[in-house]
Amino acid sequence: MKPVTDAGLLFRRYLTQLLRNPAFLVIGFATPILYLALFTPLLRHLAGPPGLPSGHVLDLFLPGILALLAYASGAGPGFSTVFDLRAGVFERLRVTPASRFAILIGPILASMLLMFVFDLVLVLAGWGFGFGVHPVGLLLLGLLLALLMATTAAFSITVALLSGQINGVAAVINGLNLPVLLLGGVLLPIALGPAWLRALAHIDPLYYTVAAARVLAAGTLAGGAVWQAFAVLVPLCAAVLYWATTVVRKAVA
Amino acid sequence: MTGVIAASELRKRFPAKGGAVEAVRGVSLEVARGEIFGFLGPNGAGKTTTLRMLTTLLPIDGGTATVAGLDVRRQPGQVRGHIGYVSQLGGADELATGRENLVLQGRLYGGSRAAVASRVATVLSLLDLTGFADRRVRTYSGGQRRRLDVALGIVHQPEVLFLDEPSTGLDPQNRANLWNHIRALREQGTTVFLTTHYLDEADVLCDRIMIIDHGTVVAEGTPRELKQQVAGDAIVLVLRDPAAAGQAAAVLRDQPVVRELSAEGATVRLYASDGAAALPGLLRLLDAAGLAVRSLGLAEPSLDDVFLRQTGRSLRDAGQPTAAGQPAGADSVGAVA
Repeated sequence: MKPVTDAGLLFRRYLTQLLRNPAFLVIGFATPILYLALFTPLLRHLAGPPGLPSGHVLDLFLPGILALLAYASGAGPGFSTVFDLRAGVFERLRVTPASRFAILIGPILASMLLMFVFDLVLVLAGWGFGFGVHPVGLLLLGLLLALLMATTAAFSITVALLSGQINGVAAVINGLNLPVLLLGGVLLPIALGPAWLRALAHIDPLYYTVAAARVLAAGTLAGGAVWQAFAVLVPLCAAVLYWATTVVRKAVA
Repeated sequence: MTGVIAASELRKRFPAKGGAVEAVRGVSLEVARGEIFGFLGPNGAGKTTTLRMLTTLLPIDGGTATVAGLDVRRQPGQVRGHIGYVSQLGGADELATGRENLVLQGRLYGGSRAAVASRVATVLSLLDLTGFADRRVRTYSGGQRRRLDVALGIVHQPEVLFLDEPSTGLDPQNRANLWNHIRALREQGTTVFLTTHYLDEADVLCDRIMIIDHGTVVAEGTPRELKQQVAGDAIVLVLRDPAAAGQAAAVLRDQPVVRELSAEGATVRLYASDGAAALPGLLRLLDAAGLAVRSLGLAEPSLDDVFLRQTGRSLRDAGQPTAAGQPAGADSVGAVA
């Protein structure tokens, strides 16, 4: 199968590039760890002493950080697409008979692999601090995170191809960053907010991911939030990937 | 005849402020197998746009094109398998080694691991890259980099190689070296289609040239044919002073062998169909009129003369780098847009 071979080749190319970029690896590892180290103590106070034991705070917060990481990992391929456009790499790939879908999905899968490595580190670190680990729940959560990450990545690549500029990608990703994270309830549960905010949150794919992530992290598999998240993310991911492939096919850069 | 590249009435327009800009307005061309075909014109003439249409990178607005017998519009996927393309930017991965770049490229064209490995070794030695094949591309010099770009274009042994401004930014030695490599590709049967705004590159390297300006073809032929369209060879005579030059111009102007003549300062410049044969007769006339010639030069017309005649503008006047043997302008190492 040529698309599969091509995707494998481009997966390896992108992964090699990531691994040859030490700054990326250091920042990739440090950011989630810093969130965990700096934000958890804050939450612990909010939860109100002598209230929640630390395990519960992490059950609330760590799933949000995992979703945040999925969103952030999706931005990476968008930025590298701009570099590839600038260096003519993208055009060189486009003039080969390589599958257009493979050109898109190879880098996404490579970033996803690294995201899972970071996730694993986070979960293990959280486990040490009392985060409850439920293997099946985590597996389903991993699937959700993969869907979210692929959606964001395909979106950022498309923005990169359409704008052709670092600034364009940065503006869109950074502009969306705050509302998406707040509405998604990554930092604080959106349930704390007023009704209009809770209603608004429903347009944010991150909201469903985070809600499902919290249910799954608690070890409950049958929660309505989980199916809701899959029902939102599967079609969304498929639609964005389809759009992105169309743009790769036509991209003029 | 049907060439390995055939295009008829190609058109491309781009949306722009105040209406669309017609970048390519009905370009027709035919390239024979095994030829080095040059597309010469100033920046913005439509060279790259035409190239990108022929290489499936840009949708064709009007007209038809076939490459290797395949319709570019209807069979872009198959066309890609038969062509190699080297853009102005090249497109090698900086973080990867030369060999890694080539292997990936070969595999994307569908070659098996073993076949690609041996082909890559061949291509590396063909372009004198073997010595640094396993170094990261980031460490390559300009000339090495460009040779790698060409290697990326031929790793799958395409029938047709498209080169967009192949020698831009290279020093004279590296340019000459690259030209030799391109000629070697032709010897192996590859058809080469290149764009250039360098007169000498078109003249020295190409078997046939098409001159394009404002999206239309202004002239076509071998460099020799094109230059013969101009009024023959140029003869430059330098006399003692402007007055003598004026007298000389008056003496020579009505000679049948002289086609065009102009005098500027102490210099008289004229064209004759066969300069070498005409020169002794012209000198005798001047001698008879008592006019001493201080120095004289005989030059074949350049492609710039062709361009000038067809468009009324000089390629050089558009801020272009100059032809061989003349000092290059400060801007000759053009920025790659």
